[in-house]
Amino acid sequence: MIKAENVVKTYNSQEVLKGISLEIYDGEFVVILGASGSGKSTLLSILSGLEKADGGHIECNGVCLDALKDDQLTAFRKEQIGFIFQQYYLLSHLNVEDNVKLGANLANNKDYRQIIEAVGLKDKLKSKPSALSGGEQQRVCIARALAKNPKILFLDEPTGALDEVTGREVLDYISKLQKERGFTVVMVTHNVNIADMAEKVVKMNSGKIVEIYQNSARKSAYEIGW
Amino acid sequence: MVVGIKDGIKLIGISIVCFCAVFVCTFMLNYYLDVLPLEETLTDSAMTALYNAQLATAKFTSVITGGVLAAIALIMLFFYIKLYIDSHSQQLGIVKAFGYSRGKIAGSFWVFGLSVFIGCALGFCIGWAFMRSIYDDLTIEGMGEIAINFHWELLALLVFIPTTVFTALACLYAYCALRRPVLQLLKGKSERISARKEKERKERPFIWQMCIKTLSSKKSLVFFVAFSCFCFSAMVQMGLSMENLTSATMGYMILLIGLILAIVTMFMAITTLINGNKKNISVMKAFGYSIKECSLSILGGYAPFALLGFGLGSVYQYGLLKIMINVVFANVEIVPEYKFDVPVFFLTLALFAICYLALMLVYSFKINKISVKEVMIEN
Repeated sequence: MIKAENVVKTYNSQEVLKGISLEIYDGEFVVILGASGSGKSTLLSILSGLEKADGGHIECNGVCLDALKDDQLTAFRKEQIGFIFQQYYLLSHLNVEDNVKLGANLANNKDYRQIIEAVGLKDKLKSKPSALSGGEQQRVCIARALAKNPKILFLDEPTGALDEVTGREVLDYISKLQKERGFTVVMVTHNVNIADMAEKVVKMNSGKIVEIYQNSARKSAYEIGW
Repeated sequence: MVVGIKDGIKLIGISIVCFCAVFVCTFMLNYYLDVLPLEETLTDSAMTALYNAQLATAKFTSVITGGVLAAIALIMLFFYIKLYIDSHSQQLGIVKAFGYSRGKIAGSFWVFGLSVFIGCALGFCIGWAFMRSIYDDLTIEGMGEIAINFHWELLALLVFIPTTVFTALACLYAYCALRRPVLQLLKGKSERISARKEKERKERPFIWQMCIKTLSSKKSLVFFVAFSCFCFSAMVQMGLSMENLTSATMGYMILLIGLILAIVTMFMAITTLINGNKKNISVMKAFGYSIKECSLSILGGYAPFALLGFGLGSVYQYGLLKIMINVVFANVEIVPEYKFDVPVFFLTLALFAICYLALMLVYSFKINKISVKEVMIEN
């Protein structure tokens, strides 16, 4: 469970997060929705331990993040967190298999090839990122993140650089794998339609949460609008 | 895993500097160790004085060449690592975000030690290949042929110890440089400009502003440009003006090492500079700035430092030779008096001006070839 209480963050004397309080339960699919500059990516960075809040309290699966030092935060991310970003951040000199191994090694996961197969890249094991399409690269990112068996998967605009067909495909993979494996998903997006895939939607504006609601029924990636 | 073997072995600049250092030190120190036991066989006082001077020269040359070039190689190594971290910050950031510790990431920078090993090993081997002719050149008349012996301690001192030390320093430097927060690595540094600087910036002409901006964003290159010109000036003047002090072979060797160091360092500095400014150049060209203006905005700021390096090189070579004669050859009567060689200075200055302008011309052509389309495709 992730619990944030009155989280505050300031950049260059500008308050980006203004007292955010939020609870995310284990196995939930949560979408944080907001326009550019609403503070959603900053919230994701703080909840995932990528950076520290200036005020407030964050607890993640029983670990109090605000008390951790940089090295301890690294160890926390190693144990618990997976990331998928809009920019793929793949290691260009490594092939698909080695990029996925980067995540798998952290969890001593020897079965990482199953995940590569699950995201449909079995035939591209030895391909370098430069030889892959945008959608394929994002699928490598999904495999890399899941290969470390994260308890929570954080996604920052994962379909932001993809076209509709590829975007739906990527979201479908994430949704299916989440249902199979039961990890928590926290996804940041500005796309209102993607919110229909979530159980819980957190709407943000100008550094504040303006609305939190539950969807009565989750839609699949192919049922939502685009 | 994070840093590829290819990244480590392509640092040709470091390999060449290490090669030059180890090449000189190999035959000088080997000669020193082989000649050292012969002291007891000398009876003539004049020959003993010459013998002591030769020993001192070998020691002095090894310490100066080895020390200076090792320091340069170390600075180059740190420069390359910083450049690597800056240009791969997103990839390193994601690895750190995933939970790899700073120590583990820094450990993968051991590959940068490979370039040092390659340079040192080659320098040692080539030094050995030239050993006989160097010995014949250095040996004092009347001492007979000196036997060449292999000294294992030199192999360790000149190849294995530098490789180990440089590899450890590469990892340590990377460990310190990777202290940046994950988000800063992922998103890159954001620059904050003070209001005063902003006002000054607005008042300057654009090309002048670009010149300063390029210079301040690549401060470490100032050192390499100045060092390249320093090497050119010092080694060319030294090589040409010490014909009365040593053999022609040694003079040519100094000249050659100086030229290699100068060219490699300048090539590395300007290539880094142009590659790092491809986007700026392509946008300037797209807006209609001429090649001359583009070149001036990127390369122009470094010209004063090139001249400074040349000046310092002239002073350095004069000081070094003066010290050598006054200290090392103090007890040797036949050594002629050494004076600053003015004709050689002007000859070197003319050569320097020609080489520098030719290099700028070559890079202007390179700048001319950069297209907006190419840069857009790369991104």
